[in-house]
Amino acid sequence: MLGRAVTFALVGLEPRRVEVEAHLRSGQQPSFSIVGLADRACQEAKHRVRSGVHSALLEWPGQVITVNLAPAALRKEGTGFDLAIALTLLAASGQVPPARLAEHACVGELALDGAIRPVAGVIAAAEGAARSGLERVLCPVGSAPEAALAGIEAIGVRHLRQAVGYLRGDETLEPASPETNGRTPVPMPDLADVRGQERGRRALELAAAGAHNLLLAGPPGTGKTMLARRLPSILPELGPEAALEVTRIHSVAGTLPPGSGLVSTPPFRAPHHGASAAAVVGGGAVPRPGEVSLAHRGVLLLDELPEFPRTVLEALRQPLEDGVVSVARVGGRALFPARFRLVATMNLCPCGGRGDPRIECTCTPARVAAYRDKVSRALLDRFDLVVAMPRPRAAELARAASEASDAVRSRVVDAAGRLERTTPRRVPAASELLDRAVDRLPLSGRGRARVARVARTVAALGASADVLPEHVAEALSYRSPTELAGP
Amino acid sequence: MTITRLRRGVAAYPPLLERIPDPPASLWLRGDADRSVLTDVAVAVVGARACSGYGRSVARTLASGVAEAGAVVVSGLARGIDGEAHRGALAVDGRTVAVLGCGIDRDYPAAHAELARSIVASGGLVVSEYEPGVEPAPWRFPARNRIIAGLAAATVVVEARERSGALITADFALEDGREVLAVPGEITSSLSSGTNGLLRQGATPATCVADVLEAIGLEPRAARTGPADGPASAAVLEALGAGAGTADELARATGLDAGALATALTLLELAGRVTVEEGVVRSTIAR
Repeated sequence: MLGRAVTFALVGLEPRRVEVEAHLRSGQQPSFSIVGLADRACQEAKHRVRSGVHSALLEWPGQVITVNLAPAALRKEGTGFDLAIALTLLAASGQVPPARLAEHACVGELALDGAIRPVAGVIAAAEGAARSGLERVLCPVGSAPEAALAGIEAIGVRHLRQAVGYLRGDETLEPASPETNGRTPVPMPDLADVRGQERGRRALELAAAGAHNLLLAGPPGTGKTMLARRLPSILPELGPEAALEVTRIHSVAGTLPPGSGLVSTPPFRAPHHGASAAAVVGGGAVPRPGEVSLAHRGVLLLDELPEFPRTVLEALRQPLEDGVVSVARVGGRALFPARFRLVATMNLCPCGGRGDPRIECTCTPARVAAYRDKVSRALLDRFDLVVAMPRPRAAELARAASEASDAVRSRVVDAAGRLERTTPRRVPAASELLDRAVDRLPLSGRGRARVARVARTVAALGASADVLPEHVAEALSYRSPTELAGP
Repeated sequence: MTITRLRRGVAAYPPLLERIPDPPASLWLRGDADRSVLTDVAVAVVGARACSGYGRSVARTLASGVAEAGAVVVSGLARGIDGEAHRGALAVDGRTVAVLGCGIDRDYPAAHAELARSIVASGGLVVSEYEPGVEPAPWRFPARNRIIAGLAAATVVVEARERSGALITADFALEDGREVLAVPGEITSSLSSGTNGLLRQGATPATCVADVLEAIGLEPRAARTGPADGPASAAVLEALGAGAGTADELARATGLDAGALATALTLLELAGRVTVEEGVVRSTIAR
């Protein structure tokens, strides 16, 4: 007797259709084997499925059972196949109607008591189901709102018993509605907490409005990290397209809390400098999105930039340039989008004394050079905005609270919208100023393009249709200074 | 890379160098610049490798002023003050000479290879008494310093600790009977203890470009740095009169918002009126 069900395996973010087939035949020795390049977690499905079926008070077909996951050449990993395997067995043994099962894609992990647990990447699987013409997906109840975003009827089930009841027609289950209002107000630190630091705040606003990368350099304790952590609070909400991309990535990575729908707040990621290149950029034997992809459409904060291994920093250059990470593996190539704002902080020297008038730096020139050499010129070139943050005087810290994030965000939203609609053009006088600056300041060709880009953002924030000389002048003040390129 | 050798005794050999107690038997030259760069009046601008933002700013300003007045800036291509002195001259399209303490074909420190190329490309020279292939060695640097002092009519020490190599250059200059100037620094900073010591011993204080030019008998060129245009720039210069400050402090003092202040600072920087080092803004002239 044969049973069939459809589920999906993920290669990166891409769903691949997997047919689950179960064959039952009578034999002397009851056995259960799974074939079709199933990894360890998937092989263990045997135990979960057997216990689940028993716990659901269903009949275990005590025969020779072979389950095949086709295409057999595609590597299957993870626990999301459990539900499909269980239902195929039940269909093969006549406990659920096969025709009804064939209308559904099935995703979910089984608990020993038959409950259905959420798994990563349900939205991607649901999208695959929608694309291959299926109308419904059976999935863990917590993942149903997420799956519904794929434009498919998502039937959330709590227990194997409930799934069987539904397929038999004993129980009706309503499909989940795509929960676009998934925005649980994430408590975000507010810019109002930052006293003084007007220049840093201004740069942060520009970074938000124009999607620029920002480097904050200065002695410890001047509020670099504090400022950087507040960038997400002034970013515009994600559009529907972007929100779907972000939701998909976080679903596949398993960082989406169960029960949440569309993620509409820009993500914020701050990996520690001990993180490996694979963790930051993405990769692994089974390709997984790295921090750069988890920060897609949001903010990636690299605190203490020179402390990151050089391999990690150099690996960042490609996604910074292309906005996408490509991981090639035997099983195929996985593409992960990675368009993020990079915010980094660094000290001016290893001892941290530089830039602090109260401390005398004890670093030798060679040590300072070695410290700054860790950040290659090529990487430094990727920062549109570089701001030195010297230590503020005590008087600044006693000042009244500053402007709150909400007020800044509304300006950012306006400017970002303006930049999307039109590109402000440089007036001749502004171009002249830029040429004069290239002539007099150490500014590379790439540096010139960077200044021009920032000048457009300055103009947009000033609600100006043209890029005026003053906009270029302000943009020039955020160029990377020669002092960061080694003393 | 053109390398030539200039033997002692030929007409092009720098006359001032000829007059020191132990002039090098020959000078190796890198670059195609006119040999007059070695015979025209020159000022040595030297100082510590580990220097402060103040030192860098002053070195650049003085070197720019000297180069604008038509004199040659001589220094040692080292990190810190030396490098800034060369850059200051290059920034105003001036001529500058770098004296090496290693073989003429070597770039030491390697980080300044690009700087050495710029010096040669803009009508300056890299010189050394050592033939190609000679490794840098600690004892070669004092010998190099005697050439720096020997090429210059005056030596300006911008920032130096108690036992800095720049003080050796100053000693050579004194022995050669050349003018020695020192830039006054904070008495509490160890980075200025050497220069303040020189002042105590009677060196001329270098408080502005004019002080340096006076020592070599040159007039300051009519300032390329025009008056500050616009009320914002004027307000910033006014505020800087009270001393160096960060952008935020200046914003507070002038009442400008961060954007307008950034604009004013860049325009002033392009006009050569201020320098910005590690977030600290300094006026290039005392007011």
